[in-house]
Amino acid sequence: MMSLLDHIQGTAALPEIFLVVAAMALLMFGVFREKSADIVNIAAIVVLGIAVAMVIWGGEGRQEAFGGSLVIDTFARFMKVLTLFGSAVAIVLSVNFMKTEKIERFEYPILVLLATAGMMIMISANDLVALYMGLELQSLALYVVAAIDRDKAKSSEAGLKYFVLGALSSGMLLYGASLIYGFTGHVAFPEIARALAAGEPGLGLIFGLVFLIAGLAFKVSAVPFHMWTPDVYEGAPTPVAAFFAAAPKIAAMALFVRAMLAPFSGVLPDWQQILVFISIASMVLGAFAAIGQTNIKRLVAYSSIGHMGYALIGLAAGSPEGVRSVVIYMTIYLIMTLGTFACILAMRRKDGQVETISDLAGLARTNGLHAFFLAVFMFSLAGIPPLAGFFAKYFIFMAAIKANLVTLAVIGVLASVVGAVYYIRIVKLMYFDEPAERFEPMVTEVKAVVVLAGLFVLLFALFPQPLNSLAEAAAASLF
Amino acid sequence: MPELFRDYLPVVIFMAVAGAIALALMASAIIIAVRKPDPEKLSAYECGFKAFDDARMKFDVRFYLVSILFIIFDLEVAFLFPWAVSLGEIGIYGFWSMMIFLVVLTIGFIYEWRKGALEWD
Amino acid sequence: MYQLIVFLPLIGAIIAGLLGTQAFRMMGSTVDSHGHDDAHAGHAHAHDDHGHDDHAHHAYPTPWAAYLTSGLLVISAILSWVAFWQYMHEAEPMKVEVLRWVNSGALNANWAFRIDTLTAVMLVVVNTVSSLVHIYSIGYMSHDPHQPRFFAYLSLFTFAMLMLVTSDNLLQMFFGWEGVGLASYLLIGFWYHKPSANAAAIKAFIVNRVGDFGFLLGIAAVFLIFGSIEFDTIFSSAAEQVGKTMTFLSWQFDVLTAICLLLFMGAMGKSAQFLLHTWLPDAMEGPTPVSALIHAATMVTAGVFLVARMSPLYELAPHARDVVIVVGAITAFFAATVGLVQNDIKRVIAYSTCSQLGYMFVAMGVGAYGVGMFHLFTHAFFKALLFLGSGSVIHAMSNEQDIRKMGGLAPHIRVTWAMMLIGTLSLTGFPYTAGYFSKDAIIEGAFTSHAAAAGFAFVLLVVAAFCTSFYSWRLMFLTFHGKSRATSEVMSHVHESPQVMMAPLYILAAGALLAGIVFAPYFIGHDEVHFWAQGIFRGPENKIIEEMHHVPAWVKWSPFVAMVLGFALAYQFYIRRTDIPGKLAEQHWPLYQFLLNKWYFDELYDFIFVNPAKWLGRFLWKRGDGWLIDGFGPDGVSARVVDVTQRVVKLQSGYLFHYAFAMLIGVAALVTWFMFGSAH
Repeated sequence: MMSLLDHIQGTAALPEIFLVVAAMALLMFGVFREKSADIVNIAAIVVLGIAVAMVIWGGEGRQEAFGGSLVIDTFARFMKVLTLFGSAVAIVLSVNFMKTEKIERFEYPILVLLATAGMMIMISANDLVALYMGLELQSLALYVVAAIDRDKAKSSEAGLKYFVLGALSSGMLLYGASLIYGFTGHVAFPEIARALAAGEPGLGLIFGLVFLIAGLAFKVSAVPFHMWTPDVYEGAPTPVAAFFAAAPKIAAMALFVRAMLAPFSGVLPDWQQILVFISIASMVLGAFAAIGQTNIKRLVAYSSIGHMGYALIGLAAGSPEGVRSVVIYMTIYLIMTLGTFACILAMRRKDGQVETISDLAGLARTNGLHAFFLAVFMFSLAGIPPLAGFFAKYFIFMAAIKANLVTLAVIGVLASVVGAVYYIRIVKLMYFDEPAERFEPMVTEVKAVVVLAGLFVLLFALFPQPLNSLAEAAAASLF
Repeated sequence: MPELFRDYLPVVIFMAVAGAIALALMASAIIIAVRKPDPEKLSAYECGFKAFDDARMKFDVRFYLVSILFIIFDLEVAFLFPWAVSLGEIGIYGFWSMMIFLVVLTIGFIYEWRKGALEWD
Repeated sequence: MYQLIVFLPLIGAIIAGLLGTQAFRMMGSTVDSHGHDDAHAGHAHAHDDHGHDDHAHHAYPTPWAAYLTSGLLVISAILSWVAFWQYMHEAEPMKVEVLRWVNSGALNANWAFRIDTLTAVMLVVVNTVSSLVHIYSIGYMSHDPHQPRFFAYLSLFTFAMLMLVTSDNLLQMFFGWEGVGLASYLLIGFWYHKPSANAAAIKAFIVNRVGDFGFLLGIAAVFLIFGSIEFDTIFSSAAEQVGKTMTFLSWQFDVLTAICLLLFMGAMGKSAQFLLHTWLPDAMEGPTPVSALIHAATMVTAGVFLVARMSPLYELAPHARDVVIVVGAITAFFAATVGLVQNDIKRVIAYSTCSQLGYMFVAMGVGAYGVGMFHLFTHAFFKALLFLGSGSVIHAMSNEQDIRKMGGLAPHIRVTWAMMLIGTLSLTGFPYTAGYFSKDAIIEGAFTSHAAAAGFAFVLLVVAAFCTSFYSWRLMFLTFHGKSRATSEVMSHVHESPQVMMAPLYILAAGALLAGIVFAPYFIGHDEVHFWAQGIFRGPENKIIEEMHHVPAWVKWSPFVAMVLGFALAYQFYIRRTDIPGKLAEQHWPLYQFLLNKWYFDELYDFIFVNPAKWLGRFLWKRGDGWLIDGFGPDGVSARVVDVTQRVVKLQSGYLFHYAFAMLIGVAALVTWFMFGSAH
């Protein structure tokens, strides 16, 4: 077996292969055994854990697989660990919810595993084909996951919308990829970079770039390719939305970073313009649209749109500091988002799950811990010091200013001021309004996620160095 | 820019030819076909569709399921043909690539079978 | 010892202020089942000035805050007298370092006490009157639910005043200066639920800002010229600055004159001198003990003290002293004339205070600093006596302050009458009372002085002395003699105040009678050169104290004659022919109105300053803030945000084709941008 892997130059891609094989094995296990969801859930988490170990101890430095189609470097390793972690937490959060909502299926963790395998390929993608393959593997699994609660109209609608729009964006991406291939004659990122260095890029290549970015922007849900996000978050079951908001965003952002910097660093001014535009649009729309929301999942959806806008600022900077800030931002974003969704998951009354913002009224008096940590996440998402979210934004803005994108940084700050309105409104609602009906007590694993994420957000200011140096090393491996 | 357009000229010609052929076929059918309807011809197809009816009608989703599953294996066969022809040249690497592909497909097949997707009732 | 004198009141203030209210409330809630706030609001008027006997059945908790602060003050006062005794019998001036305070570049200001005769005199005045007022207030404020707060403020005031008089540099003095201003503000507005009290407090604060602005400029000028704000440095190098000028906005100023005038501006504000006097009568809205302590005996004399402290500079700035003389004389005259027709018992005394402060400044201006300080010293006794006595009268009259509604009280409240009589005699300068020595000395000094405005001042002061006598006796007659004009119900309640209120009156009365005889030799008599040797600086040519003992006899007699005339006229008007004042007022209606309305100063200031300022404020508020800043600022922004939000939310229609359309539009826009917009 190892010799076969060596033969196809797949050793470096062992975690991905392991994930896929494990997923298929679990599929067989699940389908031959009755009521296997619990076991598959646990097994999937174990598999993700093993994959994390394989990524971390799989080797040092830059490795390539499948003839250079995949590249594994520090950046990829870091983002893969984040992604695997996000997926694992998403499964953890889903267990109890799926049970109480009676949509418990062993396919869910398997789909998450497959999607995660796709994400890992995305993160490592070093040519346009691997890029597309990873993206599609991820997307196909996600389409199904979005509609996992298929008896509910909203969930089906979410899955369908995501599927149709995803197909459209895939088409755009493919179109862009084929234009790029057409104008450079290569699909491998290093070859494209070499071809660009050789001569002046044509308008056709820029067109290709625009379409490629459109496809990628859809995956990170940046404006104007964001429209699916609120509907899918709202329609999909809450743990699924948590999954959507976490791991795929990391992978897509990592792919975005690599797909811009590896082949196209020669035409940085061109794609920088596009990124500046979509990042401003995302930040502003995320801030403004969220104010009008009454459903907390929709609100978080707009919030994530805004956050992607901020992260794209770092990418737009196009510098090692920029990438470092993106890595830090995505890490902190991942943890804040998982914590927030865990809090949303805990919004459960006797008669079922609730998700309007007004249900949170007076939470501080009915469940102090819940309210406190949700407030911490809200303040952190708003970027209020000394919480982690502040540092995330801080590094982003610093990178932007160093890259002479001062206007972008200023707009970012202004948008975050507007955005603070809806975050703080939730805090106000929880702490100063008359209590609504009490929620059911949190289940243990949700509480654990809330507390751990909350502690990270609270204490990050004290121990920023490990993440900082990791992010620095990750960013350095791209340049 | 003219360079670019000239490169795509064959595509334009291709589209024009395709349109022309399609039109010619439809026109010839209208003009020269013999129309002799009988009860067999007018009865419903095996799939349950009536021969002459509104195309936008409800039908059993299992038709789709079967056809989608069919397409997958249709494609498998479509892959197998060129693979079989070129097996001598792509060697052990090519052989194992297809084997893995087939294993994956088989796992999917087992899954759908166990799930009862292939049973009509 | 000096640390104790200064810091005991502060300790009292902190304890009473921080713990008093809490403890008081706790005890109050157990003892007095009435909600304090309800009782307070309901009896808002009753507390103005002090609750009457119908409150007596309320079981108020032990006023330990009052006892504590009063006790500390009494210790402070006794120590002050000890210090004063030492300085009467030669003690060296000394400095008591407390802590390093400000060291910033060339600006060095350490917190130190400068102890010399001047300080010792002020310590005695402040602590004596303050301790007596504290004791008096135990009785006077006994029914007030916010008693601990009152005593905390009083003690805080005392501390600030002590800081002021012990200051070793101008910054420290300014600290005390503002501290007393703050305490004055708090105490005038003590009954903050009364709009008039609030208004008066704000008025006092704002008018004082005008003076403080000058004072601050003066300090800055001192620092600019001398490079230091330490008194020692300033005084030792003052002589070098004579005749030097400085340029400001292309004008040339004599350095010392400019500094002295700026500092005097501060003194004018704090001491309610002409043009900046308007706050003092209104300050009578505060509780009467406050009027006695702050607005008669101590704080308002801070300006006089400032000039005395800065005497080394004023000695070298004769032009500035001319201004001091003129302002002082006009104030003395103006306030006395207004006092003639006032009907509120406290306001009459307030104008009298204003007038007497004018006397003190004249003394300062002519160079007779010791005389001015002496008047400050005696005035503290008899004016505090008058105020506390009038408080006793008001107490007896169920909070009636209008002397037109009094009359014939003497038989009912004999002791108060006697106290008021002593105060009046002393104020009007009846021979061998305290006021006689100090006031007459000032008038003689004004006559003796060679300053340009001295003659003018002399005439005005004598006229003012006549007016003083008239209004003082008018007050006495209207209040205590003749037929009673009060309702019989009020009259039936008339009673003497409790002993805790009367005891301070006795002590003050003793001071008002004897302070002159006992201390005149030291302050202005044969010992004065020795006595003032360290505290006050006089130029070699300043021999006014010697010269004023040799004035012609008619000058010596003039204030006495003025006093007798004033008494006679008042007797004629208010005892024998009570119809005359009314007729006179009718005949000279414009003059009467002019005086009654205090020379229309409030109206004038309203017209010149207040209304334009209000207009400007209203403009900035309604247009500037409400329309411009709110409209385009917070409110406008939030309204726009909501607009934008609503539109953005509408974009999210839920239709798949809209979403796809948006994506295509986005791509199309980007492509278009690269085709036409960018550099390609």
